[in-house]
Amino acid sequence: MASDQQNHLLAFFTAMENQGGVIVQDVPKLDLGLYIENYKGRSRFDRLLLIGQCSVPLCLDALKAAVIEAKQGKDVQRYRDAWECIRVAGPNEPEAQFDDAWVNATTKANKIFTHQLEAELKGYKNNLIKESIRIGHRDLGEHLESIGNLNGAADAYVKMRPDASTISHIVDVGRHIIGIMLQKRDWTGVLANVNKTMPPNMTAEEACHEQPYQKMVAGLAYLGSEKYAEAAKCFLETGDPKACKHYNDVASPNDVAIYGGLLALASMERDELQRKVLDNASFRNYLEREPQIRKAISMFVNCRYSACLEILERYRSDYLLDLYLQKHVSNIFSLIRKKCIVQYLAPFSCVTLDSMTAVFAKPGGSLETELISMIKSGALKARIDAIDKLLVMDSSDPRVAMQINALETIRSYEREALERVRRMSLAAADLEVRGTYRKGLGGGTGGAGGAGGLPGLGEILLDDGESGYGVEGLS
Amino acid sequence: MDRCASVLLAFPPRGDLTDNETYHKAASAHIHRLSKMLKEQSRELVAFSTELFNVLDPAVHSLSYLTILNALMFPSLPADIPQEFVLEKLVTFMMAFDGRQCRYAGLPLLETMEAVGSGRLLPPSVAVEALATAILKLDPSGTMLTSSHLLLASLAYNTDNIQPALPVIDKDIVFYPGMANHENAQYQCDPGLSSASYISRGTGLTKVLKSSMVLEYDLVCGMTYCARQEWDKARAAFERVVTFPTKDGGCSKIMVDGFKKWILVSLLSQGKHSTTPPYTTASTIKTLEVLGRNYVDLAAAFVTDDVQLFKLEADNQQQVWLEDGNAGLVKEVVASYQKWRVLSLQKIYTKISIAEIRLQTKSAETGAVLNKDEDVEALIQSMIIEGMLKGVIEKNDDGTKFLAFLSPTAHPSEQEFQRELKHTAAKLQELTPIFDATNLRLATSREFIKWAVKENKRDKSNDAQDPTLGFDAQIDDEDLMGGLPAN
Repeated sequence: MASDQQNHLLAFFTAMENQGGVIVQDVPKLDLGLYIENYKGRSRFDRLLLIGQCSVPLCLDALKAAVIEAKQGKDVQRYRDAWECIRVAGPNEPEAQFDDAWVNATTKANKIFTHQLEAELKGYKNNLIKESIRIGHRDLGEHLESIGNLNGAADAYVKMRPDASTISHIVDVGRHIIGIMLQKRDWTGVLANVNKTMPPNMTAEEACHEQPYQKMVAGLAYLGSEKYAEAAKCFLETGDPKACKHYNDVASPNDVAIYGGLLALASMERDELQRKVLDNASFRNYLEREPQIRKAISMFVNCRYSACLEILERYRSDYLLDLYLQKHVSNIFSLIRKKCIVQYLAPFSCVTLDSMTAVFAKPGGSLETELISMIKSGALKARIDAIDKLLVMDSSDPRVAMQINALETIRSYEREALERVRRMSLAAADLEVRGTYRKGLGGGTGGAGGAGGLPGLGEILLDDGESGYGVEGLS
Repeated sequence: MDRCASVLLAFPPRGDLTDNETYHKAASAHIHRLSKMLKEQSRELVAFSTELFNVLDPAVHSLSYLTILNALMFPSLPADIPQEFVLEKLVTFMMAFDGRQCRYAGLPLLETMEAVGSGRLLPPSVAVEALATAILKLDPSGTMLTSSHLLLASLAYNTDNIQPALPVIDKDIVFYPGMANHENAQYQCDPGLSSASYISRGTGLTKVLKSSMVLEYDLVCGMTYCARQEWDKARAAFERVVTFPTKDGGCSKIMVDGFKKWILVSLLSQGKHSTTPPYTTASTIKTLEVLGRNYVDLAAAFVTDDVQLFKLEADNQQQVWLEDGNAGLVKEVVASYQKWRVLSLQKIYTKISIAEIRLQTKSAETGAVLNKDEDVEALIQSMIIEGMLKGVIEKNDDGTKFLAFLSPTAHPSEQEFQRELKHTAAKLQELTPIFDATNLRLATSREFIKWAVKENKRDKSNDAQDPTLGFDAQIDDEDLMGGLPAN
């Protein structure tokens, strides 16, 4: 029985891997039940399904929870998705039985409710009451979103806009639209709309309440478009965690701590980290929820790079199971690692490779190849002495650089000046090569075979055939 | 004969000819007499040529000397005078004539140069040297392209007599015949004149050139340098072909050829295919890149460590290289692949063992690593000797040989830097006459003067009438620091 289950799981994850999914073998530190309690809304199902598809130890639990979650909602497609997974991963589970009755009933009910809402909306429109029309659109949009018709929902939300009259209405519209875009992973769209959730004429109190949402969403969008520095800045400015908790359909305060901390580590220098992260009073509240991040950052600031990397590495599997972070984990980790190496080397002019290996060695990976790739990419300004096993920093001598630069400037000036005069003279002598816009001029005389006949290249001017020069190379 | 001789010896007259005006008048009159004599007394000139040559000095009586040569050589060499004698005189003349005087020589000189450039009269090595000397005598700056340049370049390249032609080919060409607003100067003999002012179709010292001929000249120059394996110079020459100004999306077959060679030579001289300078016409480059696709791909593979990819690119397109006449260059490129790989190691290592280099770099000829460490060592030695690589091969205590790269920023000493700076400053000084000539040409063109006059008028009237148009001018006058007390 147990081995049977193992085989099913193996088949499932092989399929997942073939689809390009991430597979996490290690047991994560998170508790599924507690974890999912942090969230509400449609995000819950997405997270459960993701964990089910990626984590080997949590696969069945997560998928089961996903099926239950889907059946609590109205989105039939989600149920099908979750069922497809659990059908392969654990056919013996009770949740693996396809619930036809529920599907039919829900589909029918959805249809009826949609019609009902549309009819109501029509009624509101006939009555020309702005507020009712807005509410009608909103209800329809929310319903469509809950049954998984995201495009329809987005349309309905957009139609709310003309009837939005107060600031809170406008904010409401913006937030609904962003909600859809987040689900569709439309990061540029999110960034374009994010300012609309904080109109400039808000009172300070309202703004304080809106800020967590706005910064969080903008941060996610920047993260999604791989602009880590901007993203880190947004997360660090999220503000009050209590207000943040209110928006846990997007991300939890714990997530903000992880995203903000990791991205800050990946994009900021040491003094910046100290100033903007560790000494940041409002962000400290977040960091308290994820002490390992705070520890990693303070390790980095205190130059204990190997300890910092070790902590992060321990939590890698957790981060890999995060809905928004998953794709970027390896990228961010390697950025942090590179920064650690560069920072480690900063005070030295010359370091033995052995001592570097002691600090940064990764099981199974040679540090030297990593260093070489860093040097090649320009991230590390140093060179390797393979004989004495040293890493030698490039010394910069500004005077020499200036001298070389000066000579180069003069030479290029001379070259370019001559060339410009030459071109003026050519223009004055009317010697430019002219294009002929007449097509089909190709078959002219002269030794220029081929080029003239090429399709679309009728503009090629065949040079006069009178030349006596052979166009031969060295051969 | 005496009458002839007296006419021929009449110029330059004894006495003071320093004044441009007197010189010009005397020379013009002399030319007039000579051409009359050539027309009427040609037979007499031929008959007494030996004696006449004896009294004339080619360096002093250049115009007269040329007239007799002309009478002898055209329409064909006379049968009754030994050919060697005429040719000897011809060479003497070409090597010795007075450049200032011959600015008046016009068509006869051009015909003579063409006869030499055709390569039929003289052995090629002599012809190339004579022609090159003559061109530089006429235009010591060498900045003006003439039809004789074309003859010289092709003759030198085709007969492989490159060395004597180099003084001419090495010069930077910046002027071309037929430039607008280069009306002949008042006195052609003015020594301060830029060559563009006296070499023109009007003075008969060059023929009219077409754009294709200019392109061909640069292409042939490039190939000449290729033959000498001077890749840097070749690259510059091909670059002139590639960046040749074009209009209306035009492109020429020669430019395509030049583009292909330019890429290959760039690989040899710089190890990569660099982008074209900013003044290149964008549409042309697009066309070129489409037509030179194979070459661009080859260049892209050249800079990678993937030897198989590069070898594949080079081998698969053999037919293309052959058809374009570039097989030889491609071979050179393939041979240099490993050298550039070794060179790229200096960005990563300060010291690296020979064995390691052997493992890390592969030869593009075989697609594999070299067999022995000794081969690698020989390769590195040759690179160091060529000056391509700055480094030394050293031996460790335990006997492992290694290459130590010298720092790429190994700085010149202060003295060296100073010398270099002075040298380049002097070179910049040499550009002044070119700038002056160009300035003069542009500033005296009819269009510019018209525009300048109009601009002058507009400025004044606008200030009074429309304050918004003169905004730019006014912003300077505005007191931006108004709030601060004046100090």
